[in-house]
Amino acid sequence: MALDSNQYEEEEYSATLSGAALLRLLRLTLNYRGYLAGYVVGVIGMVLAEGTHIYLGKRILDEGVLAGDLGEVKYLLWLWAGVAVALAGCVALFIFCAGSVGQAMNYDLRKTMFGRLQELSLAYYDRTPVGWIMARATSDSRRVSELVSFGFLDMFWGMMSILVFLGFMAAISWQLALVMLAVVPVMVGSALLFQRHILGHWRDVRRLNSRITGNYAESIHGVRVTKSLGREDSNLAEFAELATGMYRSSFRAAWLSAAFLPVVQVLAAVAVALIIQVGGLQFRTGVITLGGIQAFIQYIFWMLFPIQEMARVYAQLQQAVASAERIFSLIDSLPEVQDQPGAMEEHSLRGAIEFDAVDFAYEPDNPILQGFNLRVEEGETIALVGPTGAGKSTVVNLLCRFYEPQRGSIRINGQDLRGMTLHALHSRIGMVLQSPYLFSGSVMDNLRYGRLDATDAEVWYAAELAGAADFIDAFEDGYATDVGEGGSLLSAGQKQLISLARAILARPDIFIMDEATSSVDTMTEARIQQGMEQLLETTTSFVIAHRLSTIRNADRILVIKDGGIAEMGSHQELIRAGGYYHDLYRRQFRDEKSRTADPFFGSRLVHA
Amino acid sequence: MMAFLTGALRRQDLDLHVVRARRRVRSCWRFVHGYRSLYLAAVLLLALAALARSSFAWVIRTFTDDVLLPGNYDRIPLMGLYFLSLAAAAGLLTFLGGRLAAQTAEGVTRRLRVFLYDHLQHLPFAYHDRMQTGDLIQRSSSDVEEIRRLFAEHLVGLGRIVSISGMAFFAMWQLSPRLALVSAIVIPISVSVSFGFWSYLARIYDLFQDQEARLSSLLQENIYGARVVRAFAREQYEIAKFERENAILLNRGRNVVRFHNVFWPSMDLILASQMVGSTLFGAWMAIDGQISTGTYVAFTGLLGMMVGPVRHLGRIFAFITQSLVSYDRVLAIINEDREPLDTGLVDMPQELAGDIRFEDVSFVYPEGTQDLPGESTLPGVLHGISFHAEPGQVLAILGPTGSGKTSMMNLLPRFYTYTGGRILLDGRELTEYPRRQLRRNIGVVQQEPFLFSRSIRENITYGTFRKVSEVEIVAAAEAANIHESILAMPRGYDTVVGEQGVTLSGGQRQRVAIARTILKDPRILILDDATSAVDTSTEKAIREALRNLMRNRTTFVIAHRISSIASADRILVLDQGRIVQTGTHEELVAQAGTYRDVFRLQTSIEAELQADIQSTLEAHPA
Ligand SMILES: Nc1ncnc2c1ncn2[C@@H]1O[C@H](COP(=O)(O)OP(=O)(O)OP(=O)(O)O)[C@@H](O)[C@H]1O
Ligand SMILES: Nc1ncnc2c1ncn2[C@@H]1O[C@H](COP(=O)(O)OP(=O)(O)OP(=O)(O)O)[C@@H](O)[C@H]1O
Ligand SMILES: [Mg+2]
Ligand SMILES: [Mg+2]
Repeated sequence: MALDSNQYEEEEYSATLSGAALLRLLRLTLNYRGYLAGYVVGVIGMVLAEGTHIYLGKRILDEGVLAGDLGEVKYLLWLWAGVAVALAGCVALFIFCAGSVGQAMNYDLRKTMFGRLQELSLAYYDRTPVGWIMARATSDSRRVSELVSFGFLDMFWGMMSILVFLGFMAAISWQLALVMLAVVPVMVGSALLFQRHILGHWRDVRRLNSRITGNYAESIHGVRVTKSLGREDSNLAEFAELATGMYRSSFRAAWLSAAFLPVVQVLAAVAVALIIQVGGLQFRTGVITLGGIQAFIQYIFWMLFPIQEMARVYAQLQQAVASAERIFSLIDSLPEVQDQPGAMEEHSLRGAIEFDAVDFAYEPDNPILQGFNLRVEEGETIALVGPTGAGKSTVVNLLCRFYEPQRGSIRINGQDLRGMTLHALHSRIGMVLQSPYLFSGSVMDNLRYGRLDATDAEVWYAAELAGAADFIDAFEDGYATDVGEGGSLLSAGQKQLISLARAILARPDIFIMDEATSSVDTMTEARIQQGMEQLLETTTSFVIAHRLSTIRNADRILVIKDGGIAEMGSHQELIRAGGYYHDLYRRQFRDEKSRTADPFFGSRLVHA
Repeated sequence: MMAFLTGALRRQDLDLHVVRARRRVRSCWRFVHGYRSLYLAAVLLLALAALARSSFAWVIRTFTDDVLLPGNYDRIPLMGLYFLSLAAAAGLLTFLGGRLAAQTAEGVTRRLRVFLYDHLQHLPFAYHDRMQTGDLIQRSSSDVEEIRRLFAEHLVGLGRIVSISGMAFFAMWQLSPRLALVSAIVIPISVSVSFGFWSYLARIYDLFQDQEARLSSLLQENIYGARVVRAFAREQYEIAKFERENAILLNRGRNVVRFHNVFWPSMDLILASQMVGSTLFGAWMAIDGQISTGTYVAFTGLLGMMVGPVRHLGRIFAFITQSLVSYDRVLAIINEDREPLDTGLVDMPQELAGDIRFEDVSFVYPEGTQDLPGESTLPGVLHGISFHAEPGQVLAILGPTGSGKTSMMNLLPRFYTYTGGRILLDGRELTEYPRRQLRRNIGVVQQEPFLFSRSIRENITYGTFRKVSEVEIVAAAEAANIHESILAMPRGYDTVVGEQGVTLSGGQRQRVAIARTILKDPRILILDDATSAVDTSTEKAIREALRNLMRNRTTFVIAHRISSIASADRILVLDQGRIVQTGTHEELVAQAGTYRDVFRLQTSIEAELQADIQSTLEAHPA
C-alpha cells in the first residue's frame, strides 16, 4: 500500500496495444448498436457518393465537354446535385450517430466510474492521488469516447474510401488500378510506420502533461501554505523546469508530426507521377480517356485524406486504448471491504460491541493494533485517550469497517460486521470525523446530509444541540449561507459544530465523536455536553478527546497505547490506578496550579 | 532570440499581463508577442507550399493540352518529373512551416502554463476562497490544451485554407478571370454562414465546458469527502447527485452534436451548389471554345482545391470558436489582480524587532474574488481592535468559535487586507512593507494544517530557502515532538504522506506543520490552535522545546485551554469581533467576565481532579 513516490508513472503505458482492452472496448461499443448501424450506413453512403461525384466528373469531361454536348453536361450535373443531397443526408446521419455514441459512451463511463468510486474502500483513496482519479473520469473518458465515435468512424470511413475508390478506379481502368493496388499498401504502411515512430514522443508528452496537471492541482490546493511560507518562487522554478521539459518533448513530437503530412503527400505525388506515366501510355493506345486520367488523379488526391486520417486514428487508438485500460483498472478495482454474499441489509446495531483479538496494520510492516480486545455494552459511553498516533481513530475506523482487520473479528450484538452490508452498518452509525469535511452548498444542505428527509424543525433542533444554532442564526442568510468548498468560508470550530450537528441529525444507534470539539471553545463545549447528555445516555458512544472535560464523564475510559489497551476503567478508577492517565492529568493539573513556574516560552521570566 | 526559443525562460519573457485587454483580438495579438515574426514566417512558408501545390494544376493543364491531346508522348516523363519536384518543394515548405508553427504553439503554451501557475499562486486568499479548485484545475489543464491547439492546429489550418483557396483562386484567375469570379461566390456566402453559426456554437460550447467543470468539482469534492460519504452511507445520494449533473452534461454535449448535425450538411449543400454552378459554367465555356480542354481539366482540379478547403473552413471556425471559449476562461483568471508581493515603500529591517500595534482595526471579508478593502456588503468580522505587542512578548487570544481569532491573525501576514484602522509593525504601517518580506518573517501554524503529498522530510523543509542539514531537520522534528513517531514509521523521514496528509493521524499532521514552521525560523510566530489534536503531555513537551527556540520572538497563541495560555504576557479575549477583555491571567481572573467564566469552568474540573488525586495520594502515599 506504499504510496509510489512518483504517482504518475502509471501513465506510462506499453507501446504495444493491449488487445484485451481493445476487445473490451469494442464490446462496450456494441451497446450502442442502433447508432452504430446508423453510422455504418451513413459512412458507406457518403463514400459511395464521393466516389460517384468524381466518376460523374469524368463523364462530364468525356461525354460532355470533349463531346461538345452541353445537354449531357446538364443532365450529369443534375445527377451530381442529387448525389450531393444524398451525401448531405449521409453526413447528417453519421454525425448524429457518431456524436450520440460519443456522448452516450462518455456519460456511461463517467456513471460507471462514479458508481464504482462509491464502493471503493478508504484504503483506495489513501493511496490513489485525487488527480489520478480525476484524470480517469475527465480526459481519459473523453479520449475513449472520442475514439469510439469519430475515431472508429474515421477509421471505417478511411478503409471504405480506399476500397470504394479502388473499385471506381478498377471500373475506369483495371491496369491503372493494379498500379494503385501496388502503391496504396506502401502509402498506408509508411504512414503507419511513421506514426509508430512519433508515438513514443507523444507518450512522453502525455506523461509530462499528467505531471503538469498534478502539479497544478497540488499548488492550487496548497496555495495557502505556499503563501504563508513564501514559497512562490521556488515553486515557480520547479514548475518552469517541468514546463520546459514539456516544451522540449512536445516540440520534438510536433515537428516530427509536421514531417508526416509532407511525407504522405510526396508518396501521393509519386503515385500521381506513375499514373501520368502509365496513363499517358494508355491514353496513346486509347485504353483510357482524358476524363479517366483526370478522375484517377482526383481519386489519388481524395485517397490522401483517408490515409492521413487512418494514421491519425491509429495514434489516437493507441492512446485511447491506454486510457481505456486505466479506466478499466478503476472500474475493476475491487473494494478491499465489500459486502459478503448473503449479508444482512436490515440489522439493528443495538447490543454489545465486541472487538475480538483484532490485529490491524495500514501497511504490512507497521502494525497499529495487536490482539485488541474490547467489549462495550449497549448504551455505554466509552472514551478513548492516548498519545497521538496511538491508534484511537483507527479503532473507530475499524468499527465503521472503513478498513478490514487482518485478524480477529468485530461483532455487534453477536453479529460479525462482515455479516451485514456496509449500508446497513453506516446508516446506523453517526460519526464526527477528526478533520471535518463540508460540501460546497448551504449550511442546510450540509446538515441534511445526516438525514435527507429531516424536517426543518429537526435540523434546527440538531443544530441547537450541537451548539451551532447561534452562529448560524447570526449569519445574514442563516441556514442558506454558502459554506464554500470544503467549508472554506467558515471558521474551524464552526465546521466542527456543523459536522457534529450533521451526525446528531442522523439519529444513529452508535455515535462516534473523533475529536469532535477540539477547536471549539470551552463554554460552547460545556453547553454541547449538557445538550447531548441524553443522546449519549441512550446510544452506545465512542468519544475520542484530549480534553479532560470531554472525557471524564464517560462510563469507561480506555487508554490506547502500543497497539492495545493499556488502562481501562472509570475516571476515578484510573486516577487511583496511578498509570498513564493519572500522570497525564496530574501533570496538566499541576501546570495550571503553578502557572508562574511554567511561563509560556518563558518570556515573562526574561522580562521580570 | 534563439536562447528564448529553445532555452531557459527569463522573467520578463513570462509576463502575460499584457494580454489583459478588453478586446479579444488585441488580447490574442499580445498573447503571441515575441513569436509574431516566427508565426508570420510559418504562415508564409505554408502559403508558399500552397502555391507549389496549386501549380499542380498548371502541370495537369500542360499535360492535357500540350502532351496528351497533341500526342507529344515523349514529354510524358518530363511531366511526371515536374510533378514530383513540385510535390517535393510543397512537402519541404509544409514541413518547415509546420515546424515553425509548432515552435510558436509550444512556446506560447509554455509561457502561458508557467504564467498561469505563477498567477494562481499570487492571487489573493479571497480568490481561492470563492473558486472551486476543480474548476481552476480544469481551466489550467484542458482549457490551456485547447489554446495550444488553437496555435498548433487551428490557426495554422486557417492559414493553410486561406492560402490554398487564395492560390487556387489566383491560379484560376490565370486560366480565366470569369471562371474564377463565378467560382468564388461561395466564399463570402459560406464565411458568413459560418459566422452565423459561430456565436451560437460559442454559447453552447461555453455551457458545455461550464458543466464539465461543475462535474469535475463535484467529483473532486466526492473524493475529498469520501470519509463523510461512507460515514453517512450517502453513496446512493451522491450517485443521484452526480447523475443529475452528468445528465445535464450529456444534454449539453448532445446540443453540440446537434449543432454539427445542422451545420455540416448545410455547408455541404452550399458547396455542392457552387460546384454544380461552376462546373456547368466551365463546361459551357469549354464547349463554346472560350477555354481549352486542358484549362477545363485544370479548372475542375482547382475548383476542388478552392471549394474543398472552404468546407474545412467551417470546421476550423468551429474549433477556433471552442478555443476562444477556452481562451476566455483562462483570461478570466489572468484578469484577476495579483496581490503584489514585492511592492512596498520600505524594506523590512534586517533585524526585525517584532513590535506590533493594532489601532482600531476593523475587517470585513471581501465579497468577490478580489481582496479589495471596503467594497464588501458582508457583515464585519472585526471591529475596533486595538492592542500592542512588544517585541518578544507572548500574546494569547481566547474567544468563542467564530469570534474572529483566525481572521485577526490572517491580517498580520496580509493574507487579507484590513478595512479600517492601522496595523503597525516596528512603527510602520503594515502596508508599507512588501508582502514577501513580511511573510518570510512571520511563521503561521494554521489551524487546519495542509501537507503536501511528498515525503515527511520535504514537508518539513518546505518553507526554507537555504540548504538545511539533516541535523536541523531532526532538531525541528524533535522540538515538535514528532521525531520519534517518524522514526517508528517503516520509511522514516522518507515516508510519503497521503494527499493532504491523510495517512497521518491528526496530531501527527499538526506536529509536522509545527516542525515546518520551526525550521522556517520566523521573527513573529502565530500558533493558531496548533496543538488542538495533541494530548496534553505532548503539548507540554512542545511548549518546552519552543520556549528555547523561540526566545525573543513575538508570539501569538490561539488556544482554548487556559493551561495553554495562562502564562502569556497578555491575553486578549475576543467576542464577536471585539476585544472584550485584555490583561494577564491574574488580572483577568480577578475581574468578572468571559475569561473568568471559562477559567472557572475548566478549573472546576481540575478541582475535582485535585480532590481525587489527593485522596489517591493519601490512600497510597508515594
Ligand atoms: N490511512 C492511513 N494509512 C497509513 N497509515 C495510517 C493511516 N491513518 C493513520 N495511519 C497511521 O496509524 C497510526 C495511528 O493513527 P490514528 O489516526 O489511529 O492515531 P490517533 O490515535 O487517532 O492519533 P491522533 O490523536 O493524533 O488523532 C499513526 O502512526 C498513523 O501514521
Ligand atoms: N474566508 C472567509 N470568507 C468569509 N467569511 C469568513 C471566512 N473565514 C471565516 N469567515 C467568517 O468569519 C467569522 C470569524 O471566523 P474566524 O475563522 O476568524 O473564527 P475563529 O475565531 O478563528 O473561530 P475558531 O475558534 O472556530 O477557529 C466566522 O463567522 C466565519 O464564518
Ligand atoms: Mg485521530
Ligand atoms: Mg480559527
